[in-house]
Amino acid sequence: MDYKYIEQLMERYFNCETSLQEEQILRSFFQQEEIPAELLPYRDLFRYEEEEAMEEKLGDDFDAKILAMVEQPTVKAKPIPLRTRLYPFFKAAAAIAIVLTVGNAAQHSFSSEDNDFQQSNVQPEMGYQQSTSALEMTAEELSSPATKTKEKEKSVDTLAVLTDRDTGL
Amino acid sequence: MEELRFRNDILPLKNKLYRLALRITLNTAEAEDIVQETMIKVWNQRNQLEALDSVEAYCLTICRNLALDKKDKKVSHVMELTQEVQESSLDPSTPHENLVQDERLKLVHELFNQLPLNYREVMQLRDIEGKSYKEIARILALTEEQVKINLFRARQRIREQIKNIENYGL
Repeated sequence: MDYKYIEQLMERYFNCETSLQEEQILRSFFQQEEIPAELLPYRDLFRYEEEEAMEEKLGDDFDAKILAMVEQPTVKAKPIPLRTRLYPFFKAAAAIAIVLTVGNAAQHSFSSEDNDFQQSNVQPEMGYQQSTSALEMTAEELSSPATKTKEKEKSVDTLAVLTDRDTGL
Repeated sequence: MEELRFRNDILPLKNKLYRLALRITLNTAEAEDIVQETMIKVWNQRNQLEALDSVEAYCLTICRNLALDKKDKKVSHVMELTQEVQESSLDPSTPHENLVQDERLKLVHELFNQLPLNYREVMQLRDIEGKSYKEIARILALTEEQVKINLFRARQRIREQIKNIENYGL
């Protein structure tokens, strides 16, 4: 194979007479496997030039770092409506309201529980009294009709006696 | 004018900027800092930039200036070079074939980095980044003639060193 063209290019390269395209041709040429012995010493130079240009030395962590640095101060001052500006206060107020309501409710329920408890302390006696009085009353009620019925019976008896007397008459 | 976007217009330049900064400072950590500084600086000036097509060259200019500033502050340039060489001769974890290939590429890498600063930055921009003489002149604040002269000397020196290595071994 004839490498005259490449040799010419090499000569012009070292004399700074090549164009960017011709320099790229040289770099591409030296990427191939088979290179004539007389050109071999220069292979690494062009391979190095090619590889250096491809190398990605700064990774994603660099991106993340620089984006964090750049995107923070670029926030432009834009008009914020009163509502959005007060939005955090609304949130705070809502939070406080919730705490107060819950707290109040809790307190109320605790104290009313206490009251119930006290009432229930009192209640047994009252209940006992009430129930005993109720029982007494019913007992009276029960006993008094009985007497009444007896009286009624008596009156019935007397009536019977009277009727007997009448029939006897 | 179209709006300049950081993600689309500036962030993709990161590796180009990094390679230039690294070529100048020969220090990876410093190069990364320089890229970061460059991007933030350009981003903060985005409203003053006229045309989008100049963004890349502008970023490279800023990057180069920052790298040169940092470099001036550094006293021991030789120290960095030897550090770089030591670092590059580490990493034994590749297969033999790759290792040989890598070693040879590392040798070229060292040849590049042993060039004087004004030679290696012109080599970087022309042979690695593929920039035109006009763009390079703009980035380096030189005339196109000066760029060509530096590039010529840089390539000649590389050629000599490759020949020396071939003739007399490593």
